[in-house]
Amino acid sequence: MVDLVQNTIDGLMIGSSYGLLALGFTLIFGVMRRLNLSYGPSVMVGAYLGTLVYVQLAAGPLVVLVVTVLGSVLAGLYVERLCFAPMAAGAGVASMVSSFAIWMQLEQAAVLVLPRHTYPFPPLATADPLAFGPFYLRVDGLIMLACALALSAGVQLLLYRSRVGLALRATINNPVAAHLAGIDVRTAVVFAFALASAVGGIAGYLVLATDQQVTPMFGMWATFKGLIAMMIGGLGSIPGAILGGLVLGVVEANSQWYFGPQVRDLLAYVLLFACLVLRPGGLLGEAPSRQQDTGRRGA
Amino acid sequence: MDDYLVGVLSNIGIVSFIALSAWLLLLTGEISFGQQAFFAIGAYAAGIATALWGWPLGAALGWSAAIAGGAAVLVGVPTLRLHGLYFAIATLGFAEMVRLLFEQFHYRVMIDGELVGPNGSDGFRGIRYIFENDVGSLQFLALIYLLLAAALAGFMLLERSRLGVAFRMIGEDDTLAALNGLAVARLKILAAGLAGALAGLGGGLYAHLTTYVEPRVFDVMLGVHSLAYGLIGGLGTALGPLLGVVIDIGLLESVRAFAGYRMIVFGGLVAVLLIVRPRGLLDEALVHRIGRLFVRAPPAGP
Repeated sequence: MVDLVQNTIDGLMIGSSYGLLALGFTLIFGVMRRLNLSYGPSVMVGAYLGTLVYVQLAAGPLVVLVVTVLGSVLAGLYVERLCFAPMAAGAGVASMVSSFAIWMQLEQAAVLVLPRHTYPFPPLATADPLAFGPFYLRVDGLIMLACALALSAGVQLLLYRSRVGLALRATINNPVAAHLAGIDVRTAVVFAFALASAVGGIAGYLVLATDQQVTPMFGMWATFKGLIAMMIGGLGSIPGAILGGLVLGVVEANSQWYFGPQVRDLLAYVLLFACLVLRPGGLLGEAPSRQQDTGRRGA
Repeated sequence: MDDYLVGVLSNIGIVSFIALSAWLLLLTGEISFGQQAFFAIGAYAAGIATALWGWPLGAALGWSAAIAGGAAVLVGVPTLRLHGLYFAIATLGFAEMVRLLFEQFHYRVMIDGELVGPNGSDGFRGIRYIFENDVGSLQFLALIYLLLAAALAGFMLLERSRLGVAFRMIGEDDTLAALNGLAVARLKILAAGLAGALAGLGGGLYAHLTTYVEPRVFDVMLGVHSLAYGLIGGLGTALGPLLGVVIDIGLLESVRAFAGYRMIVFGGLVAVLLIVRPRGLLDEALVHRIGRLFVRAPPAGP
């Protein structure tokens, strides 16, 4: 029982970072109705730039954070330019495949710049875990959880309480009508991409600072964790993204404890597949409509 | 021919099977990121059949196609109502599930005083059929291309048949196809099964060429590459995915000048081609124009 509770606590903490990754994914999906599979690799490009200034210039954690976020945003905008802007409306699947192609490009570019398998990443908090009776709370985990909740609340506020958010929601609802109402849809899309990449950059920074290292596997890791969490929570839903991340984190932490790492990864995919087959809309999302992406038509 | 060339050509031939498999699903309008799962199932099935059960190669290859095709039908049923990106993500999830299951798969048998068989993440060594039976690398290359030619001939026949028209119609608009009386669900499952069998056959050949398979070969990158081949090469003809394979493996992987930059060139190529030629180099319009060159002009009127 103690194990179960402790695993669940750990799972909630790591799950909050999955939730942040899912949040970025879902923002892009919400605005574009398209999936950006290069999302994780663009965060990785940011993280590689962050570790570059850390290793080469001995920069402090704050500088590393800023560089990581800026790098993620730049890489995200590159992906938007190449895979999303030039594609015709309704060619969502072409964008998805194209973003997968750019994924390989970003990954190889990162490896060419920093060829070693692992690079150090500055730690977030080195304080001892806090003890509550039989349970331990990691300080960096708590920071991660707090950041996830604060950021998702911030994004929710931005979307529902600001003019920019109104423009974004109008674009999400109907791009043509938004355009006719005088909203610059192009700018709204670029803004959503930049915002999503910044959220991803912060999530990436938190995860890597907890791990204290970065490897070329991080891009794939971030894309898959974010994707699975988003699909579980429901495409396009912000509370769903965070909830999906927490669910995935708790399931992973417990299955790792009881069955080992290989079963943990397997269960994550079983969860994804079952969710898609049984409830394609996810826990809090809307069910997919037939009009969205029914094929490659126009692709 | 030198060994290097034979190796590259064998590789191109084998990867063509999985590229054709992804291409067949593209015809019916579905993007699959998961054909590598059936390639893996075929590789393991054929390897087990010859190395552990002592089957002849032909039977093992047939078995690999059959079991991979069967698995594809089983996956095709629950994913039938998913479309577009939902289908793509479901296939991706399934393929990763299969890969991770092979990481757990142990089936070891004592043969000639030595343990042989799949051993979890350490892979499956000792699929030595072509050495034990003195099949030369040229002979095996001929076998690969013979089977590939048969598959291509099958596709040529398909394009001229009602079934091929039905597949393309479903890919264009499945609602309209259903309204025209096509059994869309059954046809989609048939396409999934055929695609699975093709990938399985390729996997069976792959296992015997390399003599060694391990789960991490069958990761998402293999699936995405095989999908990209069809998209680069073109949706107009079954030669399209082959063109894609030749560009990637024949040019980018085998030419030393590209070493280290293969993914950068290939990824950029796919992205740019999807913008300027969304249905690939050999798209339907081009294939139609080329086809007309070979048709005799209609006889002049009186």
